[in-house]
Amino acid sequence: MRLHLIELILFNTYAELRAEAARSYLGLVWWVLEPALMMATFWFVFDVILHSGGPDYVPQLLIGLTVWQWMKSCMTHGGYAIWSHLGLVRQTRLPPLVFPLVAMLSDTVKFLCILVLLLVILWCVGYPPNMAYFALPPLFLVVFVFAAGIGFMISAIVPLLPDVRFVIEQVLSVVMFLSGVVFSLSNVPAPLNQWLALNPVAQIMDATRGILMHGAWPHWLALAKVSLVSIVVCFAGAAVVRHFAPRYPKLAS
Amino acid sequence: MNDTLIELRNVGVAFNVGRSIAGQRHWALEDVSLSLRRGERLGVIGRNGAGKSTLLRVIAGILAPDRGSMTRGPVSCQLLALALGFVPYLSGRDNAVLSGLLLGLRRREIVARLDAIREFSELGDFFEQPIASYSSGMNMRLAFSVAMQVEPDVLLIDEVLAVGDAEFQQKSGAALRARMGEGHTVVLVSHNEREIARLCDRVLWIEHGRSVLEGPRDEVFEAYHRDMHVAKPA
Repeated sequence: MRLHLIELILFNTYAELRAEAARSYLGLVWWVLEPALMMATFWFVFDVILHSGGPDYVPQLLIGLTVWQWMKSCMTHGGYAIWSHLGLVRQTRLPPLVFPLVAMLSDTVKFLCILVLLLVILWCVGYPPNMAYFALPPLFLVVFVFAAGIGFMISAIVPLLPDVRFVIEQVLSVVMFLSGVVFSLSNVPAPLNQWLALNPVAQIMDATRGILMHGAWPHWLALAKVSLVSIVVCFAGAAVVRHFAPRYPKLAS
Repeated sequence: MNDTLIELRNVGVAFNVGRSIAGQRHWALEDVSLSLRRGERLGVIGRNGAGKSTLLRVIAGILAPDRGSMTRGPVSCQLLALALGFVPYLSGRDNAVLSGLLLGLRRREIVARLDAIREFSELGDFFEQPIASYSSGMNMRLAFSVAMQVEPDVLLIDEVLAVGDAEFQQKSGAALRARMGEGHTVVLVSHNEREIARLCDRVLWIEHGRSVLEGPRDEVFEAYHRDMHVAKPA
Protein backbone atom coordinates (compact mmCIF):
# COMPACT_ATOMS: atom_id res chain seq x y z
CA MET A 1 0.00 0.00 0.00
CA ARG A 2 2.76 2.42 0.93
CA LEU A 3 4.78 1.61 -2.19
CA HIS A 4 1.66 2.09 -4.28
CA LEU A 5 1.13 5.54 -2.74
CA ILE A 6 4.75 6.52 -3.34
CA GLU A 7 4.44 5.44 -6.99
CA LEU A 8 1.19 7.36 -7.28
CA ILE A 9 2.66 10.53 -5.78
CA LEU A 10 5.79 10.39 -7.96
CA PHE A 11 3.95 9.66 -11.20
CA ASN A 12 1.35 12.29 -10.42
CA THR A 13 4.13 14.81 -9.85
CA TYR A 14 5.67 13.92 -13.20
CA ALA A 15 2.22 14.17 -14.84
CA GLU A 16 1.54 17.57 -13.29
CA LEU A 17 4.89 18.98 -14.40
CA ARG A 18 4.53 17.56 -17.87
CA ALA A 19 0.98 18.86 -18.24
CA GLU A 20 2.01 22.29 -16.99
CA ALA A 21 4.87 22.44 -19.50
CA ALA A 22 2.49 21.46 -22.29
CA ARG A 23 -0.13 24.07 -21.37
CA SER A 24 1.79 27.10 -22.69
CA TYR A 25 3.87 27.87 -25.77
CA LEU A 26 7.06 28.52 -23.83
CA GLY A 27 6.50 25.51 -21.57
CA LEU A 28 9.40 24.89 -19.21
CA VAL A 29 10.87 28.36 -19.87
CA TRP A 30 8.13 29.87 -17.69
CA TRP A 31 9.41 27.96 -14.65
CA VAL A 32 12.43 30.29 -14.73
CA LEU A 33 11.04 33.30 -16.61
CA GLU A 34 8.13 33.93 -14.24
CA PRO A 35 10.26 34.20 -11.06
CA ALA A 36 12.89 36.15 -13.01
CA LEU A 37 10.26 38.75 -13.97
CA MET A 38 9.12 39.03 -10.37
CA MET A 39 12.70 39.44 -9.15
CA ALA A 40 13.26 42.17 -11.74
CA THR A 41 10.14 43.98 -10.50
CA PHE A 42 11.33 43.97 -6.87
CA TRP A 43 14.83 45.01 -7.89
CA PHE A 44 13.42 47.90 -9.94
CA VAL A 45 11.17 49.16 -7.14
CA PHE A 46 13.40 48.67 -4.11
CA ASP A 47 16.86 49.28 -5.61
CA VAL A 48 16.47 51.50 -8.66
CA ILE A 49 13.55 53.69 -7.51
CA LEU A 50 13.71 53.62 -3.69
CA HIS A 51 17.50 53.08 -3.37
CA SER A 52 16.72 51.01 -0.28
CA GLY A 53 19.29 48.35 -1.06
CA GLY A 54 23.01 48.26 -0.32
CA PRO A 55 25.95 46.88 -2.26
CA ASP A 56 24.78 43.30 -1.64
CA TYR A 57 21.12 44.04 -2.25
CA VAL A 58 20.64 42.27 -5.58
CA PRO A 59 22.06 38.86 -4.51
CA GLN A 60 20.18 39.18 -1.20
CA LEU A 61 16.96 39.86 -3.07
CA LEU A 62 17.49 37.02 -5.55
CA ILE A 63 18.16 34.50 -2.79
CA GLY A 64 15.27 35.73 -0.65
CA LEU A 65 12.74 35.66 -3.46
CA THR A 66 13.88 32.28 -4.79
CA VAL A 67 13.46 30.57 -1.42
CA TRP A 68 10.29 32.49 -0.55
CA GLN A 69 8.61 31.72 -3.87
CA TRP A 70 9.26 28.02 -3.30
CA MET A 71 7.83 28.17 0.23
CA LYS A 72 4.87 30.23 -0.85
CA SER A 73 3.98 27.98 -3.77
CA CYS A 74 4.22 24.89 -1.55
CA MET A 75 1.87 26.57 0.94
CA THR A 76 -0.65 27.86 -1.61
CA HIS A 77 -0.58 25.19 -4.35
CA GLY A 78 -0.38 22.47 -1.70
CA GLY A 79 -2.97 24.35 0.33
CA TYR A 80 -5.51 24.41 -2.50
CA ALA A 81 -4.78 20.88 -3.73
CA ILE A 82 -7.49 18.91 -1.88
CA TRP A 83 -10.09 21.55 -2.71
CA SER A 84 -9.17 21.52 -6.42
CA HIS A 85 -9.28 17.71 -6.52
CA LEU A 86 -12.63 17.23 -4.80
CA GLY A 87 -13.97 15.53 -7.93
CA LEU A 88 -11.31 12.86 -7.58
CA VAL A 89 -11.75 12.66 -3.80
CA ARG A 90 -15.40 11.73 -4.41
CA GLN A 91 -14.53 8.90 -6.74
CA THR A 92 -11.59 7.17 -5.17
CA ARG A 93 -10.36 6.11 -1.79
CA LEU A 94 -7.02 7.84 -1.37
CA PRO A 95 -5.42 9.54 1.62
CA PRO A 96 -6.11 13.24 0.93
CA LEU A 97 -2.50 14.14 1.80
CA VAL A 98 -1.53 12.74 -1.61
CA PHE A 99 -2.86 15.87 -3.34
CA PRO A 100 -0.89 18.53 -1.42
CA LEU A 101 2.22 16.36 -1.56
CA VAL A 102 2.05 16.13 -5.34
CA ALA A 103 1.66 19.91 -5.65
CA MET A 104 4.55 20.52 -3.25
CA LEU A 105 6.87 18.07 -4.99
CA SER A 106 6.22 19.59 -8.39
CA ASP A 107 6.91 23.06 -6.95
CA THR A 108 10.13 21.67 -5.47
CA VAL A 109 11.28 20.40 -8.87
CA LYS A 110 10.65 23.87 -10.30
CA PHE A 111 12.52 25.43 -7.38
CA LEU A 112 15.54 23.22 -8.07
CA CYS A 113 15.61 24.47 -11.68
CA ILE A 114 15.50 28.08 -10.48
CA LEU A 115 18.13 27.33 -7.83
CA VAL A 116 20.59 26.19 -10.51
CA LEU A 117 20.05 29.47 -12.35
CA LEU A 118 20.45 31.42 -9.10
CA LEU A 119 23.74 29.68 -8.30
CA VAL A 120 25.09 30.44 -11.76
CA ILE A 121 24.13 34.11 -11.37
CA LEU A 122 25.75 34.28 -7.91
CA TRP A 123 28.97 32.72 -9.21
CA CYS A 124 29.03 35.21 -12.08
CA VAL A 125 28.63 38.24 -9.78
CA GLY A 126 31.36 37.18 -7.35
CA TYR A 127 29.89 34.68 -4.87
CA PRO A 128 31.66 31.43 -5.74
CA PRO A 129 30.77 27.94 -4.44
CA ASN A 130 32.03 27.18 -0.94
CA MET A 131 32.14 24.36 1.59
CA ALA A 132 29.05 25.63 3.41
CA TYR A 133 27.01 24.49 0.37
CA PHE A 134 26.96 21.10 2.13
CA ALA A 135 24.54 22.66 4.63
CA LEU A 136 22.05 23.46 1.87
CA PRO A 137 20.35 20.00 1.63
CA PRO A 138 19.45 19.81 5.35
CA LEU A 139 18.44 23.48 5.31
CA PHE A 140 16.17 22.95 2.31
CA LEU A 141 14.73 19.85 3.93
CA VAL A 142 13.74 22.00 6.91
CA VAL A 143 12.21 24.57 4.53
CA PHE A 144 10.20 21.84 2.81
CA VAL A 145 8.95 20.31 6.05
CA PHE A 146 7.93 23.74 7.38
CA ALA A 147 6.18 24.77 4.17
CA ALA A 148 4.52 21.34 3.90
CA GLY A 149 3.15 21.66 7.43
CA ILE A 150 1.60 25.06 6.73
CA GLY A 151 0.40 23.78 3.33
CA PHE A 152 -1.26 20.75 4.96
CA MET A 153 -3.09 22.99 7.42
CA ILE A 154 -4.33 25.26 4.65
CA SER A 155 -5.30 22.25 2.54
CA ALA A 156 -7.35 20.86 5.42
CA ILE A 157 -9.36 24.06 5.86
CA VAL A 158 -9.86 25.39 2.30
CA PRO A 159 -12.29 22.62 1.18
CA LEU A 160 -14.49 23.39 4.19
CA LEU A 161 -14.07 27.18 4.02
CA PRO A 162 -13.05 28.14 0.46
CA ASP A 163 -13.27 31.85 1.35
CA VAL A 164 -10.05 31.45 3.34
CA ARG A 165 -8.16 31.55 0.02
CA PHE A 166 -8.74 35.28 -0.33
CA VAL A 167 -7.17 35.91 3.06
CA ILE A 168 -4.23 33.52 2.67
CA GLU A 169 -2.63 35.44 -0.21
CA GLN A 170 -2.70 38.65 1.85
CA VAL A 171 -1.38 36.97 4.99
CA LEU A 172 1.50 35.46 3.02
CA SER A 173 2.37 38.88 1.59
CA VAL A 174 2.63 40.24 5.12
CA VAL A 175 4.73 37.24 6.19
CA MET A 176 7.02 37.87 3.24
CA PHE A 177 7.68 41.47 4.30
CA LEU A 178 8.16 40.43 7.94
CA SER A 179 10.65 37.73 7.03
CA GLY A 180 13.42 39.73 5.45
CA VAL A 181 12.72 38.43 1.96
CA VAL A 182 12.99 41.72 0.10
CA PHE A 183 15.17 43.48 2.68
CA SER A 184 17.56 42.18 5.29
CA LEU A 185 16.41 42.21 8.88
CA SER A 186 19.66 43.95 9.82
CA ASN A 187 18.15 47.10 8.21
CA VAL A 188 15.26 46.98 10.70
CA PRO A 189 15.84 49.08 13.85
CA ALA A 190 16.16 47.42 17.28
CA PRO A 191 14.26 46.11 19.19
CA LEU A 192 11.87 45.30 16.33
CA ASN A 193 14.52 43.28 14.48
CA GLN A 194 14.90 40.98 17.50
CA TRP A 195 11.20 40.19 17.43
CA LEU A 196 11.25 39.63 13.69
CA ALA A 197 14.24 37.30 14.06
CA LEU A 198 12.02 34.87 16.01
CA ASN A 199 10.15 34.19 12.78
CA PRO A 200 11.33 30.80 11.41
CA VAL A 201 11.12 32.06 7.82
CA ALA A 202 13.51 34.92 8.70
CA GLN A 203 15.94 32.40 10.22
CA ILE A 204 15.80 30.35 7.04
CA MET A 205 16.46 33.43 4.88
CA ASP A 206 19.44 34.44 6.99
CA ALA A 207 20.93 30.96 6.93
CA THR A 208 20.54 30.61 3.15
CA ARG A 209 22.11 34.01 2.46
CA GLY A 210 24.94 33.24 4.88
CA ILE A 211 25.76 30.04 3.02
CA LEU A 212 25.43 31.33 -0.53
CA MET A 213 26.97 34.77 -0.10
CA HIS A 214 29.47 34.49 2.76
CA GLY A 215 30.31 30.78 2.98
CA ALA A 216 29.02 30.87 6.58
CA TRP A 217 27.71 27.68 8.16
CA PRO A 218 24.23 28.07 9.64
CA HIS A 219 23.78 28.57 13.39
CA TRP A 220 23.03 24.94 14.13
CA LEU A 221 21.14 25.64 17.36
CA ALA A 222 18.87 28.15 15.65
CA LEU A 223 18.39 25.72 12.75
CA ALA A 224 17.59 22.90 15.20
CA LYS A 225 14.89 25.08 16.76
CA VAL A 226 13.43 25.86 13.33
CA SER A 227 13.56 22.12 12.49
CA LEU A 228 11.67 21.28 15.64
CA VAL A 229 9.01 23.89 14.88
CA SER A 230 8.81 22.59 11.30
CA ILE A 231 8.33 18.98 12.37
CA VAL A 232 5.64 19.95 14.87
CA VAL A 233 3.87 22.09 12.24
CA CYS A 234 4.12 19.26 9.68
CA PHE A 235 2.66 16.61 12.00
CA ALA A 236 -0.03 19.00 13.18
CA GLY A 237 -0.95 19.82 9.55
CA ALA A 238 -1.12 16.12 8.60
CA ALA A 239 -3.23 15.41 11.69
CA VAL A 240 -5.72 18.17 10.79
CA VAL A 241 -6.06 16.77 7.24
CA ARG A 242 -6.62 13.27 8.62
CA HIS A 243 -9.21 14.59 11.06
CA PHE A 244 -11.29 16.23 8.34
CA ALA A 245 -10.66 13.51 5.69
CA PRO A 246 -14.10 11.81 6.05
CA ARG A 247 -15.82 15.13 5.28
CA TYR A 248 -14.13 15.87 1.94
CA PRO A 249 -15.94 13.25 -0.21
CA LYS A 250 -19.24 14.75 0.96
CA LEU A 251 -18.44 18.29 -0.14
CA ALA A 252 -19.76 20.03 -3.23
CA SER A 253 -17.14 21.34 -5.67
CA MET B 1 -20.56 -16.72 7.65
CA ASN B 2 -16.81 -16.69 7.09
CA ASP B 3 -17.50 -15.99 3.44
CA THR B 4 -19.06 -12.64 4.25
CA LEU B 5 -16.77 -9.95 2.86
CA ILE B 6 -18.76 -6.85 3.66
CA GLU B 7 -21.64 -6.28 5.99
CA LEU B 8 -23.62 -3.07 6.49
CA ARG B 9 -25.98 -2.75 9.43
CA ASN B 10 -28.48 0.13 9.45
CA VAL B 11 -26.04 2.43 7.71
CA GLY B 12 -26.89 6.10 7.19
CA VAL B 13 -24.94 8.78 5.32
CA ALA B 14 -25.71 12.49 5.53
CA PHE B 15 -24.56 15.39 3.36
CA ASN B 16 -24.60 19.04 4.32
CA VAL B 17 -27.08 21.02 2.28
CA GLY B 18 -25.24 23.65 0.23
CA ARG B 19 -22.08 25.12 1.71
CA SER B 20 -23.34 25.34 5.24
CA ILE B 21 -21.05 23.84 7.84
CA ALA B 22 -23.42 23.55 10.73
CA GLY B 23 -26.62 23.80 8.70
CA GLN B 24 -29.22 21.38 7.49
CA ARG B 25 -28.24 17.81 6.64
CA HIS B 26 -29.70 15.63 3.95
CA TRP B 27 -29.67 11.88 4.59
CA ALA B 28 -28.85 10.30 1.22
CA LEU B 29 -28.85 6.91 2.95
CA GLU B 30 -31.14 6.49 5.94
CA ASP B 31 -31.03 2.87 6.93
CA VAL B 32 -29.44 0.31 4.66
CA SER B 33 -28.34 -3.17 5.60
CA LEU B 34 -26.69 -5.71 3.36
CA SER B 35 -24.39 -8.63 3.44
CA LEU B 36 -22.03 -9.46 0.58
CA ARG B 37 -20.50 -12.92 0.36
CA ARG B 38 -17.49 -14.06 -1.63
CA GLY B 39 -18.29 -14.80 -5.27
CA GLU B 40 -21.72 -13.21 -5.02
CA ARG B 41 -23.05 -10.87 -7.68
CA LEU B 42 -25.33 -8.41 -5.98
CA GLY B 43 -27.52 -6.06 -7.98
CA VAL B 44 -28.86 -2.86 -6.43
CA ILE B 45 -32.17 -1.55 -7.71
CA GLY B 46 -34.33 1.42 -6.78
CA ARG B 47 -35.77 4.58 -8.26
CA ASN B 48 -33.71 7.69 -9.05
CA GLY B 49 -32.41 9.30 -5.88
CA ALA B 50 -32.87 6.13 -3.84
CA GLY B 51 -29.23 6.29 -2.73
CA LYS B 52 -27.77 3.55 -4.94
CA SER B 53 -24.61 5.43 -5.95
CA THR B 54 -24.06 6.68 -2.40
CA LEU B 55 -24.30 3.08 -1.22
CA LEU B 56 -21.60 2.00 -3.71
CA ARG B 57 -19.30 4.76 -2.43
CA VAL B 58 -19.86 3.55 1.13
CA ILE B 59 -18.97 -0.02 0.13
CA ALA B 60 -15.90 1.31 -1.73
CA GLY B 61 -14.75 2.98 1.50
CA ILE B 62 -14.92 6.47 -0.02
CA LEU B 63 -17.76 7.60 2.24
CA ALA B 64 -17.80 6.76 5.93
CA PRO B 65 -21.20 5.97 7.47
CA ASP B 66 -22.57 8.66 9.81
CA ARG B 67 -24.62 6.07 11.65
CA GLY B 68 -24.93 2.31 11.73
CA SER B 69 -21.93 0.07 11.29
CA MET B 70 -19.95 -1.52 8.53
CA THR B 71 -17.71 -4.57 8.70
CA ARG B 72 -15.25 -5.22 5.93
CA GLY B 73 -12.92 -8.19 5.66
CA PRO B 74 -9.34 -7.75 4.43
CA VAL B 75 -10.45 -7.23 0.85
CA SER B 76 -9.89 -4.61 -1.81
CA CYS B 77 -12.99 -2.88 -3.17
CA GLN B 78 -12.79 -0.72 -6.24
CA LEU B 79 -15.39 1.41 -7.90
CA LEU B 80 -15.14 1.03 -11.66
CA ALA B 81 -14.62 4.73 -12.40
CA LEU B 82 -13.99 5.83 -15.96
CA ALA B 83 -11.37 8.44 -16.92
CA LEU B 84 -10.26 8.73 -13.31
CA GLY B 85 -7.68 11.53 -13.05
CA PHE B 86 -7.35 11.96 -16.82
CA VAL B 87 -5.22 15.00 -17.75
CA PRO B 88 -5.95 16.48 -21.21
CA TYR B 89 -2.34 17.46 -22.01
CA LEU B 90 -0.89 14.01 -21.37
CA SER B 91 -0.68 11.15 -23.85
CA GLY B 92 -3.01 8.17 -23.75
CA ARG B 93 -0.10 6.11 -22.42
CA ASP B 94 0.64 8.50 -19.52
CA ASN B 95 -3.05 8.81 -18.71
CA ALA B 96 -3.38 5.03 -18.68
CA VAL B 97 -0.58 4.78 -16.10
CA LEU B 98 -1.99 7.65 -14.03
CA SER B 99 -5.52 6.33 -14.06
CA GLY B 100 -4.33 2.77 -13.35
CA LEU B 101 -2.43 4.02 -10.30
CA LEU B 102 -5.51 5.90 -9.09
CA LEU B 103 -7.55 2.73 -9.55
CA GLY B 104 -5.20 0.93 -7.19
CA LEU B 105 -2.80 -0.85 -9.55
CA ARG B 106 0.95 -0.90 -8.99
CA ARG B 107 2.98 0.85 -11.67
CA ARG B 108 4.62 -2.34 -12.91
CA GLU B 109 1.19 -3.97 -13.26
CA ILE B 110 -0.21 -1.17 -15.36
CA VAL B 111 2.97 -0.90 -17.46
CA ALA B 112 2.79 -4.62 -18.18
CA ARG B 113 -0.76 -4.15 -19.44
CA LEU B 114 -0.19 -1.07 -21.61
CA ASP B 115 -0.06 -3.11 -24.82
CA ALA B 116 -3.34 -4.79 -23.93
CA ILE B 117 -4.90 -1.38 -23.18
CA ARG B 118 -3.66 0.04 -26.45
CA GLU B 119 -5.06 -2.92 -28.35
CA PHE B 120 -8.41 -3.07 -26.57
CA SER B 121 -8.95 0.67 -26.95
CA GLU B 122 -8.20 0.48 -30.70
CA LEU B 123 -6.40 3.83 -30.48
CA GLY B 124 -3.39 2.87 -32.60
CA ASP B 125 -0.85 5.70 -32.88
CA PHE B 126 -3.22 8.03 -31.02
CA PHE B 127 -2.20 6.19 -27.85
CA GLU B 128 0.98 8.31 -27.83
CA GLN B 129 -0.90 11.59 -28.50
CA PRO B 130 -2.35 13.97 -25.87
CA ILE B 131 -5.90 12.95 -25.09
CA ALA B 132 -6.99 16.56 -25.68
CA SER B 133 -6.87 15.55 -29.36
CA TYR B 134 -9.26 12.60 -28.82
CA SER B 135 -12.92 12.48 -29.67
CA SER B 136 -15.21 11.70 -26.72
CA GLY B 137 -15.61 8.16 -28.08
CA MET B 138 -11.83 7.64 -28.13
CA ASN B 139 -11.61 9.02 -24.62
CA MET B 140 -14.22 6.56 -23.38
CA ARG B 141 -12.48 3.67 -25.16
CA LEU B 142 -9.23 4.48 -23.39
CA ALA B 143 -11.00 5.01 -20.05
CA PHE B 144 -12.84 1.70 -20.27
CA SER B 145 -9.75 -0.21 -21.38
CA VAL B 146 -7.83 1.07 -18.36
CA ALA B 147 -10.66 0.43 -15.90
CA MET B 148 -10.96 -3.16 -17.16
CA GLN B 149 -7.41 -3.89 -16.01
CA VAL B 150 -8.35 -3.51 -12.36
CA GLU B 151 -9.00 -6.75 -10.54
CA PRO B 152 -10.08 -6.01 -6.98
CA ASP B 153 -11.61 -8.59 -4.63
CA VAL B 154 -14.90 -6.73 -4.90
CA LEU B 155 -15.73 -4.88 -8.10
CA LEU B 156 -18.28 -2.08 -7.79
CA ILE B 157 -20.03 -1.00 -10.96
CA ASP B 158 -22.24 2.07 -11.21
CA GLU B 159 -24.17 1.94 -14.48
CA VAL B 160 -20.97 1.52 -16.51
CA LEU B 161 -21.87 -1.53 -18.54
CA ALA B 162 -20.94 -0.43 -22.02
CA VAL B 163 -19.43 2.72 -23.51
CA GLY B 164 -18.47 4.25 -26.85
CA ASP B 165 -20.04 3.76 -30.26
CA ALA B 166 -22.32 0.82 -31.06
CA GLU B 167 -19.46 -1.50 -31.99
CA PHE B 168 -17.37 -0.70 -28.93
CA GLN B 169 -20.47 -0.91 -26.72
CA GLN B 170 -20.86 -4.53 -27.74
CA LYS B 171 -17.18 -5.22 -27.16
CA SER B 172 -16.98 -3.44 -23.80
CA GLY B 173 -20.27 -4.90 -22.60
CA ALA B 174 -19.12 -8.41 -23.51
CA ALA B 175 -15.78 -7.89 -21.74
CA LEU B 176 -17.46 -6.68 -18.58
CA ARG B 177 -20.01 -9.50 -18.57
CA ALA B 178 -17.17 -11.98 -19.08
CA ARG B 179 -15.38 -10.43 -16.10
CA MET B 180 -18.52 -10.73 -13.99
CA GLY B 181 -18.93 -14.34 -15.04
CA GLU B 182 -15.44 -15.27 -13.87
CA GLY B 183 -16.54 -15.73 -10.29
CA HIS B 184 -15.61 -12.26 -9.06
CA THR B 185 -17.55 -10.64 -6.28
CA VAL B 186 -19.49 -7.81 -7.85
CA VAL B 187 -21.96 -5.15 -6.76
CA LEU B 188 -23.82 -3.71 -9.73
CA VAL B 189 -26.00 -0.61 -9.74
CA SER B 190 -28.08 -0.22 -12.86
CA HIS B 191 -31.40 1.05 -14.13
CA ASN B 192 -31.32 -1.73 -16.64
CA GLU B 193 -33.35 -4.45 -14.93
CA ARG B 194 -32.64 -6.95 -17.68
CA GLU B 195 -28.91 -6.59 -17.12
CA ILE B 196 -29.29 -7.05 -13.38
CA ALA B 197 -31.60 -10.04 -13.89
CA ARG B 198 -29.05 -11.53 -16.28
CA LEU B 199 -25.88 -10.85 -14.30
CA CYS B 200 -26.79 -10.97 -10.61
CA ASP B 201 -27.77 -13.78 -8.26
CA ARG B 202 -29.02 -11.63 -5.44
CA VAL B 203 -30.68 -8.23 -5.45
CA LEU B 204 -30.98 -5.42 -2.92
CA TRP B 205 -33.89 -3.07 -3.39
CA ILE B 206 -33.53 0.35 -1.77
CA GLU B 207 -35.99 3.20 -1.66
CA HIS B 208 -35.52 6.71 -0.17
CA GLY B 209 -32.23 5.62 1.35
CA ARG B 210 -33.68 2.57 3.10
CA SER B 211 -33.29 -1.08 2.22
CA VAL B 212 -36.69 -2.54 1.38
CA LEU B 213 -35.73 -6.09 0.56
CA GLU B 214 -32.61 -8.13 -0.01
CA GLY B 215 -32.69 -11.68 -1.26
CA PRO B 216 -32.71 -13.99 -4.27
CA ARG B 217 -33.08 -12.13 -7.55
CA ASP B 218 -36.52 -13.40 -8.62
CA GLU B 219 -38.07 -12.88 -5.23
CA VAL B 220 -36.90 -9.26 -4.98
CA PHE B 221 -37.86 -8.41 -8.55
CA GLU B 222 -41.34 -9.81 -8.00
CA ALA B 223 -41.86 -7.62 -4.94
CA TYR B 224 -40.30 -4.60 -6.72
CA HIS B 225 -42.61 -4.94 -9.73
CA ARG B 226 -45.62 -5.42 -7.51
CA ASP B 227 -44.75 -2.20 -5.71
CA MET B 228 -44.14 -0.32 -8.97
CA HIS B 229 -47.49 -1.49 -10.27
CA VAL B 230 -49.28 -0.40 -7.10
CA ALA B 231 -47.49 2.95 -7.15
CA LYS B 232 -48.53 3.70 -10.75
CA PRO B 233 -51.60 5.94 -11.12
CA ALA B 234 -54.66 4.15 -12.43
